Amino acid sequence: MTLSKEQTKLLIHMVATAGPDEIDCDECYSSFAEFVEQELLGKRQGNDLKKVEDHIDQCPCCGDEHRALLEALREAHS
Amino acid sequence: MINAGATLEGASPSPRDPWVARLTGTPEIRDAALDELREFLLRGLRKLMSSRYGGGYSAEDVVQVALVKIIDSLDQFAGRSRFTTWAMTVATRVGISEMRRKHYHDVSIESFTSDGASFEVAAEVDVTASAELDRMSMVVKLQKLIDETLSEKQRFAIRASLAGLPVEVIAEKSGSNRNSVYKLVHDARVKLRSGLEANGISADTLAAVFA
Repeated sequence: MTLSKEQTKLLIHMVATAGPDEIDCDECYSSFAEFVEQELLGKRQGNDLKKVEDHIDQCPCCGDEHRALLEALREAHS
Repeated sequence: MINAGATLEGASPSPRDPWVARLTGTPEIRDAALDELREFLLRGLRKLMSSRYGGGYSAEDVVQVALVKIIDSLDQFAGRSRFTTWAMTVATRVGISEMRRKHYHDVSIESFTSDGASFEVAAEVDVTASAELDRMSMVVKLQKLIDETLSEKQRFAIRASLAGLPVEVIAEKSGSNRNSVYKLVHDARVKLRSGLEANGISADTLAAVFA
């Protein structure tokens, strides 16, 4: 199987942004509510929550859930 | 209307959140709190469940499952956000997981495990441009690292991820769990980055050449 150009670019991004101290999906999830709440308030994320942001950028699964949660909260509070 | 507040400014972590107190109170108090929470979650999830992954999913069913999960994991609410935000986080994951499970039900992982899970990096290059030669050189080195330093499981996880399969689905279909699959991918990324750096290619250079 040969990667498409888009897949290759994504792989390059994944490699270029790899860091040793990334959090995993469980750690991300445990701070998800706090992260999204700060985001909705327009507050800057502290160092711990910055790791959530980095994880969301790397993990399509958590990124998808992040967008879904924002959408759900906006709907619920509208 | 639920007492979730019109804005989020009221968020104040408390060791004994009023919601937790109500949800563990007398049957009457508990039922009233559950009704309010159900209404709040439904308001948030209805549009989501009808618009994602082709739609047609039942928000009511998802909220019912989510409420059970929320009640069972009340001790995990640490008070770092409002209770309703945390509850919506639980419900959203229940909903998205259900949608993913059904959406990818017929997808087989066999196609990602064939040939030792090997894959080739695309290298469409205009050999007359020096920048393209840089790119070609990096692709060759990256390919060598993929073939020689990654395990078959790591190649499989990366290949399936690049094909768009959510980590959660890869985990379910391969009998693993989400964290393990994420770690496989993460370790592979770190290994490839370190390998490229050992070949004199920094992450910044890599990103710039492929920008």
